[in-house]
Amino acid sequence: MDTLKKSLREFADVYRRSGSGLLGMALLLSFIFIALFAPYLSPYDPYDRVDRPFRPPSDKYLLGTNDIGQDIFSELLYGTRVSLTIGFMAAIFTVTIGTLIGVVAGFMGGSVDEVLMRFTDIVMILPNIPLLILLMAIIGKSSFLIMVLAISLTGWTGTARMVRSTTLSIKERMFVEASKAIGASDSHIIFKHILPNVSPLIMATTIYQVAGAMMSEASLAFLGLGDPSQKSWGMILHYAETSGGWYANMGYPAFWWIIPPGICIALTVASLTLIGQTIEEIINPRLRRR
Amino acid sequence: MAYIAKKFASRLITFFIMISVIFFLARSAGSDPFERYLSEDPRIPLDQIERLRVKFGLDKPIYLQYLDFVSSTLHGEFGFSLYYHRPVFDVVMDALPKTIFLLGTSIIISTLVSFVIGVYFAWKRGTQLDIWGTNAFMFVRSTPHFWLGMILLIVFGYYYPIFPLFGFKSPGITYTNTFEYVRDLLWHATLPLTTLLVRQIGMYVLYTRNSMVEVLGEDYMLTAKAKGVSERAQMFKHAARNALLPIVTITALRFGFMVNGAILTETVFSYPGMGRLIYTAIMNDDFFLLQGSFFMVSITVLIANTIADILCALLDPRIKI
Repeated sequence: MDTLKKSLREFADVYRRSGSGLLGMALLLSFIFIALFAPYLSPYDPYDRVDRPFRPPSDKYLLGTNDIGQDIFSELLYGTRVSLTIGFMAAIFTVTIGTLIGVVAGFMGGSVDEVLMRFTDIVMILPNIPLLILLMAIIGKSSFLIMVLAISLTGWTGTARMVRSTTLSIKERMFVEASKAIGASDSHIIFKHILPNVSPLIMATTIYQVAGAMMSEASLAFLGLGDPSQKSWGMILHYAETSGGWYANMGYPAFWWIIPPGICIALTVASLTLIGQTIEEIINPRLRRR
Repeated sequence: MAYIAKKFASRLITFFIMISVIFFLARSAGSDPFERYLSEDPRIPLDQIERLRVKFGLDKPIYLQYLDFVSSTLHGEFGFSLYYHRPVFDVVMDALPKTIFLLGTSIIISTLVSFVIGVYFAWKRGTQLDIWGTNAFMFVRSTPHFWLGMILLIVFGYYYPIFPLFGFKSPGITYTNTFEYVRDLLWHATLPLTTLLVRQIGMYVLYTRNSMVEVLGEDYMLTAKAKGVSERAQMFKHAARNALLPIVTITALRFGFMVNGAILTETVFSYPGMGRLIYTAIMNDDFFLLQGSFFMVSITVLIANTIADILCALLDPRIKI
């Protein structure tokens, strides 16, 4: 426990030196803050129809109203919750599946490895978005959890490969052979040696996966496959595209409806990428050297 | 030769698995195109629908349907699209060139541009230009792809209406000569192309730069420097050559995946290409169309992967053909 605390503190120290890392962290924390306190920060309940539809921005409605008369600014704030939650949940599932498969394949080796890698190759080569759409269409009704599942089931392949190659390299190291010589059980080796060494990599990957999952969710929602009861940023854009956002501004596009959700997505993904890059730099000394 | 043949064989197997997976996934949706379209219409008696089902072989057990599928595909018969009321082959062949035109051009341009910028950034790594530039590209890459398209459409389609709002050519026009036709095509394709370019350049500049930086970190680069090789020669003779290999491979693979990338852009710009076709097929349970378009996708992936293997074998002296 103490070594864990010590390494975390060391990590935080190095992290603090990176300007971009701090920026990313600050941005992400602001979004998390907004997500947590959305009910207090937003002027209206986004599910309330507060006025006529398609009203332009004014003092009453910061970003105007959407096609059913709900306040867009409130939608945006509440959307933080949905988008972030889906992103994190999908990322956790994806990394769990990928790590499981990667560690098993790398550790067991032999035919287990061969079979698992073939399977991974096939899933990897199937085009991502059509497969997502297909999965969602098969399951029929779309909900929050279904989206998380679909995104995880199509996105684990990269993680699996990475974890597998790291596991392989750890397996070859001396201390693992030594442990085996003493007679340590397989699970002991996995939990005490392999997993701790794979963890930094998993941390960085998870962050990137959150970013990727948020993008996938936005794309799916935009295409109309999102959960209609949840207001994520992608869903806001979907309604903007299909319910008259292009004409709402007296025959011109309602840019106040279209632009903000995209900016939010971009900022969140960018902050996650910055954090992920900083973590990668810290754990991979080669990148830091030059 | 044996190397390529071996790789090709495994690609072929992957190809078959790909189209089979789509076959089974599509069928597991529970409803079929006939149910979708005809059961709603009260004028059509139910036994008529059953007869149509039998005619298309949808009443047979699934493994027999699969055999039908394999044998008819090998004969080049892809079925009939219920949604478009045309043979699948025609529908796919209509959409395919449009997507290839759009995405092929974007891949070529984006690869060239990102290579130049990526190498330059790697050369000047650590400088302000590199840092700001890389972060700028990273930010661009974080924007949702379709959103970027919407923005471009707003600015250049509505407010400063230079470019058309949808489609791949102006509807209902006959052309007096080929030049006008090409001009119309290009005019319509500009915005989608730009959206694709922005996103792809954003991705590949980072990739190229990182690839180069990794190569620059290798020991043989240090040796070259110690030997007194000029910085220019270091970059181009030693570093760029080695970084070229993964980049070339990735580019070949991208051609294979071009059908995938199209969906979002084509939706925003209402561009009638393969992406929208696949989307329409999935949403309307149109199996035959879905199988046919996926067949196309798988063929392109197969060809692109094989070319990537060949290029790999040619460029990497460690691989003996």
